[in-house]
Amino acid sequence: MRNPFRRSVEQALDASRTALASDLIAALGEQNVLWRAEDLIGYEYDATIDRRRPDAVVFPSTTEQVSAAIVIANAFGVPIVPRGSGTGLAGGAVPIMGGVVVVLTRMNRIVEIDPRDRVAVIQPGVINLRLQDECAKYGLLYAPDPSSQRICTIGGNIATNSGGPHTLAHGSTVNHVLGIEVVLPDGRVTYLGSRVPDAPGIDLRGVFVGSEGTLGIVTSITVRLQRQPEAVRTMLAIFESIEIASEAVSAIISGGVIPVALEMLDQEIIRAVEPRLHVGYPLDAGAVLLIEVEGLRESVEADAQYVVTACREMGAREVRTAESEAERARLWEGRKGGIGAIGAISPNFYILDGVVPRTQLPKVMAEVMRLSAEAGFRCANIFHAGDGNLHPNIMFDELVPGATQKVLDLGGAIMRLCVDSGGSITGEHGVGLEKRSYMEWIFSAADLEAQQRIRDAWGTGERFNPCKILPTGHGCGAGHEAEIRQHLATPGVYV
Amino acid sequence: MTTTTNAEALRSLLPGDRTRNVADYAIDGTAPAIALRPQTRDEVVRVVAAANSAGLVLVPLGARTATALGRPLTRYDVALDTTGLARVVEYEPNDLTATIEAGMTLATFQETLAAHGQYLPADPPPSDNVTIGGLLATARPGAWRHHVPGQRDLVLGITAIQPDGTVTHSGGRVVKNVSGYDMHRMHTGALGAFGVIVEATFKLQPLPVSTRTLAIECESFESAADVAYRLWDLALPLRALSILAPGAAEVAGLPPRVQVLLECMGGDAVLARCEDAIRREAATSRAPHAGEVRPGSFVTLRALAGTSALTVLRLGVPSSQVAAATQFATERGYVAWGHLAAGSVLAVMPEANTIAESVRALRAYARERGGFLEIESAPATLRAEVDPFDTPERTLVTSLKRQFDPSGTLNRGRWQEDV
Repeated sequence: MRNPFRRSVEQALDASRTALASDLIAALGEQNVLWRAEDLIGYEYDATIDRRRPDAVVFPSTTEQVSAAIVIANAFGVPIVPRGSGTGLAGGAVPIMGGVVVVLTRMNRIVEIDPRDRVAVIQPGVINLRLQDECAKYGLLYAPDPSSQRICTIGGNIATNSGGPHTLAHGSTVNHVLGIEVVLPDGRVTYLGSRVPDAPGIDLRGVFVGSEGTLGIVTSITVRLQRQPEAVRTMLAIFESIEIASEAVSAIISGGVIPVALEMLDQEIIRAVEPRLHVGYPLDAGAVLLIEVEGLRESVEADAQYVVTACREMGAREVRTAESEAERARLWEGRKGGIGAIGAISPNFYILDGVVPRTQLPKVMAEVMRLSAEAGFRCANIFHAGDGNLHPNIMFDELVPGATQKVLDLGGAIMRLCVDSGGSITGEHGVGLEKRSYMEWIFSAADLEAQQRIRDAWGTGERFNPCKILPTGHGCGAGHEAEIRQHLATPGVYV
Repeated sequence: MTTTTNAEALRSLLPGDRTRNVADYAIDGTAPAIALRPQTRDEVVRVVAAANSAGLVLVPLGARTATALGRPLTRYDVALDTTGLARVVEYEPNDLTATIEAGMTLATFQETLAAHGQYLPADPPPSDNVTIGGLLATARPGAWRHHVPGQRDLVLGITAIQPDGTVTHSGGRVVKNVSGYDMHRMHTGALGAFGVIVEATFKLQPLPVSTRTLAIECESFESAADVAYRLWDLALPLRALSILAPGAAEVAGLPPRVQVLLECMGGDAVLARCEDAIRREAATSRAPHAGEVRPGSFVTLRALAGTSALTVLRLGVPSSQVAAATQFATERGYVAWGHLAAGSVLAVMPEANTIAESVRALRAYARERGGFLEIESAPATLRAEVDPFDTPERTLVTSLKRQFDPSGTLNRGRWQEDV
């Protein structure tokens, strides 16, 4: 309190926050607004970094309430940050400049599943797995299946254009979204796309999906469903090393059969998973590939045979085939529980998301392991090998002085490696806050300026999920990376 | 300076042999002041930037098969023929990705890929003679849509020249990528509103081992709908599943009855299974005829859908309405057929003098069912009278156009009067 003005500034700020809260309460009802400091703590961060307290959090139940919240935030000149389950891995839901966090989890109705038209209409807060389960009742599939599908929302999937193991065959979220109702940054409600595919006109739907909550808030989603396959075959190919397994990935894919999933788990992951989940991964394997093919019974037989042969030719020690649905489920349980298992063997870990051309996998994986060893960290790999989508998990203990900084530097080096191998800085987690400074590694100044124009065209200004995606923006500029790193160093911030 | 002298000034930017005969580039009967066919990206940059600063309106053109798509241009000074840019920039068969220049034809691209047992699963109207730039800029779906992923789903990145000559890239060369805003999605289907596409990267697929075209003759549109639905529900490896009105069946070389036409893909065992399924279905539905037909049936219909001298309408309706919409269009004198999975119905008017009233009636029909109607080609007068697109969200489109092409250099008027 040395600064004589501080008290009056704080009072003014408090007054403004109180006025904001009371307007939000008037519009949405008291039970749908959080504004007391202690209530806001849970909305400071997502699955990445502990960062900044919002001024208020709202829980709308209708499109009109979303619009009202945006209009009020605009009137107060404060940022708006959309949020689903908060499982994002790039800081996309962190209210880095404060403002109003709009939580969509109460808009969680599956409005309609139409098995004849093969579409579903859902609200943004619907949990991904719940939609899959409901569709399964009709023999239908909503294909995108991010690993967090038990808790992540479809709205969040839209924001990051989520992938998952089955992206290999079925594509990312954008390939399955037909139409979206969106509340724009000025509060206006519009509809992009259509219930029917390939609506005429500029593909605003395609631009919106993957825009990480910077162009508006999606309030209703129409997705395309597909028939579940007649037959599925899941295999576990066991290799001596991650490099040999990586060679096999490219060999399988280039041979004319594209599996629906092709996942890699390395020795660190196997040793974390097996003692806990007992799914049948061999503890002495260097790496395993979890491979799935689907289709008609006739083609699945042939495709599975092809995969087995290709794996053996590439040096697989053994290829096991799941003989029952229970066995198949167990193999997948190991994959889906993999990330969680790392948490049991390391106090902290930092999950990375990079992409390389598949043919570069062997070289890149060898280099990832070398860089990690050199930096003195264990690195566990569990990832979408068929897509070349890496997820190195660097294990460390933040209580060791300097460890956090070293981990972040290592993460940067691995990202650089992906870019230098012709790849990208993110395959499915998004850019968010975390990777803004890496955007310049893959895009020119002109490219980034063009991207900014999309934002400007949407009238986003600097208040709609500010400081996300682009490495510019008022108040989130130059010193930003240093700031992020500093905040990354606070406790409880890693996956 | 007049438009002509301004346009003439562009000629001096490129070597002499780049100039083309303007009459060949006429759109809706209007020839441009100048037609240029650059050979390098740098030459494209020079032409686009110069047109922009001279206040000229430039139209990028590939195979010129979709010039009757969109509203009539409000002005047309420079034709930019992209077919001189036709190199394979990078093709790594083991990655199943390829980067190519936009002026290459789809046919040439497919030949390159076929040598490695791969292809880009797109069957745009009228044929594989379209250029890659045109394939993306028009984003027209074909019979394969939503059985196999199409150009919209498989484009990984685009390089485009902005009106001021700036070269911009989006996406990348890897098959999965969420870095930044997907400007390649903005360019896809934008009819060149925001930039001239000069290069694109695609995710590829293995060529099917073999394919087979089969047809089942049906008593009525209702029974065709039932047949098509039962086959769709079998989760067969189909690449197309269509319902043809008698007129369309005739064009496809089939008896002039309502037909379900489909294409299966796979190895021998799979194709045998598909044929068996069709036999069973024919028995169940007491179809007069069922079995293999010539593979050219889909090719002929595809060509018809891309005949720009005719009026071609594309109705988007939910899958459950495809048979009924095909019938509705047929009853109004159109040659019509529909693709079940994509929910798209093509309606072609044999005579060029389509009445606006009938287009509006079809549009209303599609809209009532949650769908839309796009005019794929029609005489300019009709496209001036009836909005070819009918998109509800105009404000954002106008706003994007102002950001990316503030002077209205590219394809002026093609989207909206101001876009």
